[in-house]
Amino acid sequence: MNRKKKKKTHVPFRLNMLFFAVFLLFSMLILRLGMVQIVYGDDYKREIERTEDVTVNSPVPRGKMFDRNGQVIVDNTPQNAITFTNNGYKQDEMLEVAERLAKLIHKDTEKVQERDKKDYWIMKNPEEAEKKISKKDKEKLEKKYEGDQKELDKAIYQLTLDRITEDELSELTKDDLEVLAIYREFTSGYALTPQIVKNKEVTPEEFAVVSENLQILQGVDTTTDWERYYAFGDTLKSVLGNVTSSDEGLPAEQLEYYMARDYSRNDRVGKSYIEMQYEEVLHGQKAKVKNVTDKAGNVLETVPITDGQRGKDLVLSIDMDLQKEVEKIIEEELREAKASAGTALLDRAYVVLMDPHTGEVLSMAGKKIVKDKETGQSVMQDDALGNITTTYNVGSAVKGATILTGYKTGAINPGTVFYDRPLKIKGTPVKKSWRNFGPLNDINALKFSSNVYMFETVINIGGGKYEYEQPLRINEKAFSTVRDSFAQFGLGVRTGIDLPNEQTGFKGMSTLPGFMLDLSIGQYDTYSNMQLAQYVSVIANGGNRMEPHIVKEIREPLMENNELGPIVQEMEPKVLNRVELEDGWMDRVQEGFRRVMQEKGGTAYGLFGNKDYKPAGKTGTAEAFYDGPERSKFGKEPPEVMNLSLVSYAPSENPEVAMAVLVPWAYQGSVDHGANKEIGQRVLDAYFDLKKERHKKGDDAKESVQKVENIDEVLEGQEDARKEDE
Amino acid sequence: MTSNRYTPPKLDWGLVLILMLLFLVSAISIYSAQTTGQYTENFLLKQVVWYAVGTGIIAAVITLDSDQLKKISWYVYGLGIALLGFLIVAPSSIAPVINGAKAWYKVPGMGSLQPAELVKVFIILVLAKTIDEHHQKNAHKTMQTDLWLLIKLAGLTMVPLLLVMQQPDLGTSLVFLAIMLGMIFISGISWKLLAPIFGTGAALAGTILYFVLWHPDILEKYLGVKEYQFARIYSWIDPYNYQSSTGFQLTRSLLAIGSGETSGKGYGTREVYLPESHTDFIFSIVGEEFGFVGASIVVSLFFLLIYHITKIGMETKNNFYTYICVGVISMVTFHVFQNIGMTIGLLPITGIPLPFISYGGSSLMGNMLAMGLIFSIRYHYKKYMFSTSD
Repeated sequence: MNRKKKKKTHVPFRLNMLFFAVFLLFSMLILRLGMVQIVYGDDYKREIERTEDVTVNSPVPRGKMFDRNGQVIVDNTPQNAITFTNNGYKQDEMLEVAERLAKLIHKDTEKVQERDKKDYWIMKNPEEAEKKISKKDKEKLEKKYEGDQKELDKAIYQLTLDRITEDELSELTKDDLEVLAIYREFTSGYALTPQIVKNKEVTPEEFAVVSENLQILQGVDTTTDWERYYAFGDTLKSVLGNVTSSDEGLPAEQLEYYMARDYSRNDRVGKSYIEMQYEEVLHGQKAKVKNVTDKAGNVLETVPITDGQRGKDLVLSIDMDLQKEVEKIIEEELREAKASAGTALLDRAYVVLMDPHTGEVLSMAGKKIVKDKETGQSVMQDDALGNITTTYNVGSAVKGATILTGYKTGAINPGTVFYDRPLKIKGTPVKKSWRNFGPLNDINALKFSSNVYMFETVINIGGGKYEYEQPLRINEKAFSTVRDSFAQFGLGVRTGIDLPNEQTGFKGMSTLPGFMLDLSIGQYDTYSNMQLAQYVSVIANGGNRMEPHIVKEIREPLMENNELGPIVQEMEPKVLNRVELEDGWMDRVQEGFRRVMQEKGGTAYGLFGNKDYKPAGKTGTAEAFYDGPERSKFGKEPPEVMNLSLVSYAPSENPEVAMAVLVPWAYQGSVDHGANKEIGQRVLDAYFDLKKERHKKGDDAKESVQKVENIDEVLEGQEDARKEDE
Repeated sequence: MTSNRYTPPKLDWGLVLILMLLFLVSAISIYSAQTTGQYTENFLLKQVVWYAVGTGIIAAVITLDSDQLKKISWYVYGLGIALLGFLIVAPSSIAPVINGAKAWYKVPGMGSLQPAELVKVFIILVLAKTIDEHHQKNAHKTMQTDLWLLIKLAGLTMVPLLLVMQQPDLGTSLVFLAIMLGMIFISGISWKLLAPIFGTGAALAGTILYFVLWHPDILEKYLGVKEYQFARIYSWIDPYNYQSSTGFQLTRSLLAIGSGETSGKGYGTREVYLPESHTDFIFSIVGEEFGFVGASIVVSLFFLLIYHITKIGMETKNNFYTYICVGVISMVTFHVFQNIGMTIGLLPITGIPLPFISYGGSSLMGNMLAMGLIFSIRYHYKKYMFSTSD
């Protein structure tokens, strides 16, 4: 039999080889196991033990803001808040917690969208939802998204959503909606970041009952949230700026900036003006907690790292009592002026008060009359920002700068006399002063506000020669000469104030000689009121351009709320530049400014001549074109309007306060209501009255520890705010 | 084994012992694996039932002697092909698509049956018979007869191989290939034929691997294969950058086994969650809980099994039996090497189970069927001892 014949000789050999191969393979396994488990075992073990640390930041209250006298302007009102932190929970877990929480608190359902409802309906009725898609539909979609499971699931889900009817949605009860509203907040958060579920109108009962039941509410916590409280209501509010809500979180356009600085996505940050400019100072150091998680993301323990610190406090240079007074004056004077003829376009006025030696802004006020969109009534709105964000032709107020530019360029010398008469240049309307003054020197040119004197000055600067009824030729370079010189006073450039969005103004493009003349009397380029304040400060302090600032000091926060903390940083006065001067030049301009207000015939003598505080200044009236909110009502040509301005400082010897008043589009026609001067005199009065009053009280004797002046009112106000909330 | 006396049919107790030890390992590991909470089923109980069924299969196969085995080999091979073929046309109510592959029959009351697991053994049988018959017919082997044998063996493997490939089930296809290679090797085909074939194959595989790793753009350009199709290989080479796909399983598995260190963490004290750890990744449980010591014992147990089968293959005078032994050795070795190798990052991940230990009825039935063949060799030993020793 074949079967019984001798075994083939190759078989044992090859079998042995095969066995040897198996031996080799198994040896490789053992070897590799040894590598993995013995050689590198320790590494793997450590990797398992290595847990991930996630740092969680709990918000701390923002820094407060005080005025220069220690009155609270912006404070924080604590609010009870219920938060949820997603520590890696699953959908159904979160839904369960939401259901429990809904039984304990009342939650607004306004924010719930239809889509949320539909998602929720599917979650609640998975079987019915599945029935909505027939086999046929499914097959069709399967064919369409062949192989792409993700897209297919998405399409099926979308189709299910589309097929949920109104009736089905109306099956959701009020309780369901509340659960949904809470669940929605849960899911809108970021992992391991506390998300506010409710911070408005949390009643003490809700707060207590949630606190008691935290064990069954995984991820939910009760904390304190902070709401900004404004002790002076709307006063200066536009400058103080706003803070984002926790819903808004970080502004999208600056997300990366903030994320790089360790912010959480739902952090509240300053989104405008002081709140934004000083965000770094105000936001404070968050309490940091390290959540130690295992690799699956379960939180194992929570370790506090830093306690956190409330944001530092800002002491503003603003005097709130003065600010309030100034705002009141503007409002009243605006109303008054509106009663005058030709004031249809008048809607705003601005005032800046500044310490001319330090650049500290004592008051920055602006008011704007706007139509309330709903009621149609005119209301007065805060527009303090208009002082830096809007620019206008300011008129003769700039003449001080023109004279000094004249000296500097050698176009005029101290004492140069020009004959003030109408100038007739070929092809242009007559250019003249408001009266023909005859011969005038530089000082009186300021006193009477002579236009012709300024024209002659800049004609000289431009190397031109005026001849009656002849064309005027002026070197184009004179435009930049004059503008550069004006810029040394702060006109037409950034003042450098510590607020964002400052505007520099528009510079006329044309270099026709006539515009050169306009430029010299402030009727060509536009300037902001803050620029005027800086400019008049230069005149007042003898030639230093000071950087205006609204924050005076940064102070350490204190636990006690009736004292200000120690100073962290004081804003030093900063000289941006010094105007090129020779001895006696500035004295002449100052004398001219003094005569404007203190000598008979001066353009502001009428209202300022009798003041004890001996003011100096310069008025301005510009023929300008209207460019306000009603602009669209007029055709291609905007109507001509008069802009009124006033710059001033007082006292004329050793000035302590500088002021700029700007009333754009003040009137049309010939009836000048003089609101600039009215406002100006009342504001200066208010400043000196307040000073006198304080002096009487003995307030200006500085104590070693600065007290918070209005603490009682603030506490009361906060209490009221809280009550309103509940 | 020089006894001349009649020996009654006897059971191979050594093999029984090995199988019982494997069963023990399986039970312990599955019990631990089902605590992950991925499934709520009691897999251990089911596995015990499968082992009982497997024992029944052994009992049935053990009675068949070599003649009977040869007789049925073509029938079972045909049955296997039919089962695989019918999978393609079967409606999804009978053959559902699971994990993207159409490889299972739904069997009422039993769960699912993967015919490919049984077909492995059928291939061993039919190849063994083919080789044996070939050598009987061609007493004087030449290059021509060798080549003809090679073609026959390859052809017989290719039919089920292609059927399994299209399911798609790469792992099982590779098992078929391993069985075929082992049996070609033992069939005695001349080195002159084998060397160039194996050489070319190895070179080709090496070249493809080289291109996959360093120049996938060329493969994409000329062969039209997309880069994602090599994900399996990339995740093997660099699992930490392919965490989302199969790389995840590999990194988890390495973490589990590696952190077991020398002596393991102790039974039931796993720390690494690994999905499907009761089936393909069961070895990670052994490695984590019992460490290098435990893992080496399991590997040694398999080595002992191979050694035992090799010994049987050596001792038997019946070449048909030897071929079967080699087929089983190839099958088990490939399974063990591939499965353990993938859990420790030695090989890319392919979904094949660890024989006797992974949970799974079909796989266990296939392996028990193979063991039944081995048992039957020892069982019918005496005949040939007699006939060859005189």
